[in-house]
Amino acid sequence: MNKLKVLLLALSVFAATLFAQNTAADSVTVKQSTEKNPADYAFSHFAVSIEGGEIYPFGDLIDAVENTLYGGAGIRYAYWENADGFMTFNYSYFKPVAKTKLNGVNQFSGKVGLDWKLKYISPLILGAGFTCNFTRAEIKEGEKLNFGSDLGGTLGDNETEFGWFVRLNMPIWNIDKYRVGLNAVWEELWTLPKRSDMLTVGLYIERRIW
Amino acid sequence: MKKSFLTLALAAFLTVPAFASVDAEVEGMEYEVRGDGTFLIGGPTYAFDRILGAGGTFSESELWTPAKLRDRLLFNRMSGTPSWTPLAPSVWLKTGNELGDLIYQNLLPSDKAYPANRTPFLEIGVTTPSYKGFWVTARLFQDDHFSEKMYSYRVGMVDNSFAHFGENYPLFSTAYAGFGYTNSMVNASVIAGEEYLWTYTATARWIPTHFKPRIEARADVKNVSVTLAYEDAEYMNKSKKERGSRQEVNGSIYYQCDEACKQGKLQISAGLAFRGVSDSGTVYTELEEDRSFWPFVELRYQPLKRLTADVMFGINERDWLVQDSVQFDIPTPKTMGVTVGVKNISGTRLNPLADTKEFLGDRTIDLTADGQMTLVQGYAVFNDTVASLNYGGKGSFWAEYGAETFDVDGFVDENSYFFRYGNVDRIDSWIKGVTAEIWLNAWYQDMFKFNAMVGFERISGLAKKLEVTPAEYFVAFTGDWLINKTFRISHSVKYRSDARWNLRSIDPLVVKGDWYWDVTFEQNFPKYGITFAGTLLHVLANEVVEVPNGSHDRLRFVCTARKSF
Repeated sequence: MNKLKVLLLALSVFAATLFAQNTAADSVTVKQSTEKNPADYAFSHFAVSIEGGEIYPFGDLIDAVENTLYGGAGIRYAYWENADGFMTFNYSYFKPVAKTKLNGVNQFSGKVGLDWKLKYISPLILGAGFTCNFTRAEIKEGEKLNFGSDLGGTLGDNETEFGWFVRLNMPIWNIDKYRVGLNAVWEELWTLPKRSDMLTVGLYIERRIW
Repeated sequence: MKKSFLTLALAAFLTVPAFASVDAEVEGMEYEVRGDGTFLIGGPTYAFDRILGAGGTFSESELWTPAKLRDRLLFNRMSGTPSWTPLAPSVWLKTGNELGDLIYQNLLPSDKAYPANRTPFLEIGVTTPSYKGFWVTARLFQDDHFSEKMYSYRVGMVDNSFAHFGENYPLFSTAYAGFGYTNSMVNASVIAGEEYLWTYTATARWIPTHFKPRIEARADVKNVSVTLAYEDAEYMNKSKKERGSRQEVNGSIYYQCDEACKQGKLQISAGLAFRGVSDSGTVYTELEEDRSFWPFVELRYQPLKRLTADVMFGINERDWLVQDSVQFDIPTPKTMGVTVGVKNISGTRLNPLADTKEFLGDRTIDLTADGQMTLVQGYAVFNDTVASLNYGGKGSFWAEYGAETFDVDGFVDENSYFFRYGNVDRIDSWIKGVTAEIWLNAWYQDMFKFNAMVGFERISGLAKKLEVTPAEYFVAFTGDWLINKTFRISHSVKYRSDARWNLRSIDPLVVKGDWYWDVTFEQNFPKYGITFAGTLLHVLANEVVEVPNGSHDRLRFVCTARKSF
């Protein structure tokens, strides 16, 4: 059911983006075709953003943690004429599905990637990159977590894992220096015994700094 | 200076705009991204690194050369890790992990045992721009990779977590800070820090050393380089109630032939490497007479434009070592080259600065062997360039007499980990080898560079007395893209055939042949000196133990953010 909601939300936002107006703020990489060296585009424009939404575990992970909200901030900068670089930093708190000695797990996620503004899907923007997720569990009061034998025992210590992601950046409104849009991110953490897949859908508000 | 053909061929190839290949996780571990030989990794402080075609039975880091004067001496190896060479003015952050932590998978009930814990890498550092020539540097770096296998054994040996942070008992954890001065004639620095280090020794065990502090001073004045280090090292084995310390001073003075000198037919460089130690309590190795002075001289003689003779010779009261070569560039058309040569390495020890004894309980392991080794190698190299293609090959024959080996008397069992004892010995017969390598390079402007290489080696002789029977063949492909002059993708795909450790475990350890894929993605901002890089190491390969008592060589990811000043 959750997946259906997500799909409908994504479709509706996609429809909305079709009406989005391209303005100067549409892209932080304003076309400067006179500059031939691609290196000259880097940081020619720069934007900061805040973002919030929901994370949906997929596959086996549905039985591990519940959907959760997230919030964070990010930056976006011109890289090439048709591509932006971006970084995002998000916080979320996951609650385990099973009964454990944990109240929940704090997760800090940092992502670095590139957004490609492909003409044939414009105004949608396709991005990809690497993610680094840092976790630390909150143990229930009075409980002592055993690293090896308890469910979630390894999460009592600081744990970090990397992964990769693809995302669709869907600008909805562009007003002066501001942009409101939606990010849909499919990410895969390189965990064992299986990889961990999640879908993140969130709204962002972005302000262009220069 | 008249360059050899190899130098010219390399230079010709490098006229293709060079961009680096796959990044190693830390300086000194470049062997982990190489494919042209046998590279077996026990951890960041130990690897068997033998390039196919180098000749001989030993690994590269076992052989002392003047080029390694500023490497670290870790037992009998010159190691580039952990490096105390100040980095260029920049600020950087690096982090990574052996991939495969459980994270949320650990919240899923499982009938099977969960995979072993994976361990990270973390580094942060800065070297400031110079102000009137003065600069400051500080660095904290710790590689927790390869720390899982003997974790339970190592935990019992030391007082605390034996690291600057975390509880993975990493094989090295280093923090240092210092300052320097640089101008057109002088480059000098003094750095002090604290370091936790695990060293892999002849007995196949890991020995913890806590440097508290380690101080290293360097000065390069014109063509003279001076290095001086002081180390206050603490040794311990808590479970055996053993504790000891070593005060050590080591360093070198090195005069290198300058540009004017290089114009002459005879070029001379010379230097002195030295170390002195003072041990107390339980220290697990010994340096005979507590000191080693190693004077050496390098000569290059070019009587003809195409004929080059090199020799390095060092001697002290205990050891001598000579490395020499003669090579001739055969006249050929301009784009082509053929070089023939012969090289020789002879000496009483490959590393005359290394300790001479190791102690395992009541047993003493003699790390020196009577007599000498002699390696002779003849080789021929062919190289040709056609448009954007370069291809070539190298063939060689080598023979080594008196190769170092280990005469194993037995093994001790400590908590199911086996450590050997015996003495370093020699193989008093000829070990012979024949090698063949061919390669192809192709490039397109500054956007793409490709290399394919295949190598084969056949060794005959007492192979089972070799510490390592190296791989018989390899295949390696590298592809580097530089997209829009700012985005680098470097790939390396390689295969190495079986290698085998013969003497460090009760049964030989066969490291099965496997494919490896390494890749680096890097965003560059040339105008701002900024790079963001992510590197995946040893993808595709099975995660196996490559060195007896070493940890699994796991799939690793390391990412780096750097701002150069």
